[in-house]
Amino acid sequence: MIRICFLLLSIVLFTTNQASAADKLLNGIDANFPPFAFIDKTGQPSGFDVEAMNWIAEDMGVEVSHQPIEWDGIITSLLTKKIDIIASGMSITAQRAKQVNFTLPYWIIKNVFVVKKDSPLTVDTLLKGKKVIGVQQGTSEAKWLKEQITAQHFNYELKYYNSSPLAVEDLLNGRIDAAAMNDAPAMDAAGKKAVQVLGSIGMPQEDFGYAVRKEDSELLDRVNTSLKKLMASPHWEVLKNKYELNK
Amino acid sequence: MPSSISTVIDALPYLMSGFFNTAAIVLAAMFFGLLLGVNIAVGLVYGNRILRFFLGLYVWFFRGVPVLVLLFLFYFGLFPYLNLPFNALVSVSLVLGMTTGAYQANIFKGAILALPHGQFNAASALGMSHFQTIRTIILPQALRLSVPAWSNEYSIILKDSALAFVIGAPEIMARTQFVASRTYQHLPLYIVAGLLYFLLTWLGVAALRYFEQRVQIPGYSHHGLQ
Repeated sequence: MIRICFLLLSIVLFTTNQASAADKLLNGIDANFPPFAFIDKTGQPSGFDVEAMNWIAEDMGVEVSHQPIEWDGIITSLLTKKIDIIASGMSITAQRAKQVNFTLPYWIIKNVFVVKKDSPLTVDTLLKGKKVIGVQQGTSEAKWLKEQITAQHFNYELKYYNSSPLAVEDLLNGRIDAAAMNDAPAMDAAGKKAVQVLGSIGMPQEDFGYAVRKEDSELLDRVNTSLKKLMASPHWEVLKNKYELNK
Repeated sequence: MPSSISTVIDALPYLMSGFFNTAAIVLAAMFFGLLLGVNIAVGLVYGNRILRFFLGLYVWFFRGVPVLVLLFLFYFGLFPYLNLPFNALVSVSLVLGMTTGAYQANIFKGAILALPHGQFNAASALGMSHFQTIRTIILPQALRLSVPAWSNEYSIILKDSALAFVIGAPEIMARTQFVASRTYQHLPLYIVAGLLYFLLTWLGVAALRYFEQRVQIPGYSHHGLQ
């Protein structure tokens, strides 16, 4: 019995990973967010943010690994030190900036409506025609859409999903009239399913940034330095082309 | 349809490693729950009033709070607070283990109470201590009686383990969702996930039935009119 206990203890100790060692970074990603972060055919984390973070980590001289985490709990995971950084298409918002520090913005994002192909719906009817709109829970566009119901007297009903691909799936099932999401994943969906991008939801543009804990100001500086270098290097264009972000 | 089939075939190795992670979670949780459950059951039946109160509190808590809430409480709250650097897989196994421990305790408690009390008198007539009697006379019988009810816990824990995806444990459900998000082939992939869970249930229940037959005492526990 004692031997079994020791065996269990050693398994526990060897499999645990506290991502606090200075030369190792654990990046939390939303693996349901192609093309910025997803799991590729071989089962490895991949995507624009994942590859950018790999480049940055190499430049910083640290090792990085990518841990898929449910989006709704990703900031909690950062604050409870389950991960060290979030490089996964996170919009810089004032509310999030109260909890975490953001790097320089590296990507401008628009939020768009996705509807079924050949749908007669317009942005205006979606906003004012008592439609049902699907959106990923915990995102800035979800928050904005909810606020506009009272702010602009829109009358749509919101349905929340764990990921935007699930919202697209339910759009095709006919349970919702449109799905709201960032433009890059919307283009990704339009390339794979019978849906089309309708147009901007009317929300101001947002910037993506990487998020770190407030107290990790040294890490923030180092990531910013390497991020600047990456954005000035030709590799940045290569990445954008690879993940079709220039469309 | 061909594209969905090729997606499923491509994803199979990735999903299979999720299958083994799910199996590992369930086995670890069942084993941990067994250790907890047996000890709690003995405490609940033979302990003094204070011990019984606290064990009752434990069982009440873990049976009363949803597994999802427990996962968040322990993974984001208690474990970091106690400086226990458990990863998602270990955390899920522990939380499911503590939950099933509460349920298993009641299964074993019922089995212990089902045994005739005269066995205690007989054992003490032979000069056995209280502890010896519990360990060598009561528990071996009670555990055998518990196997059918206990095997229910296996399939319950197996299905509860699907909740682990919310904290990012790389089990079947999380991996299915990742592949579906990339390929937009949700339905075929969830069918495969369902089959994998079914396979795990079937394997586990078959193993437990075999175990039940191996450990039964001839002439004591019996199956139907055998």
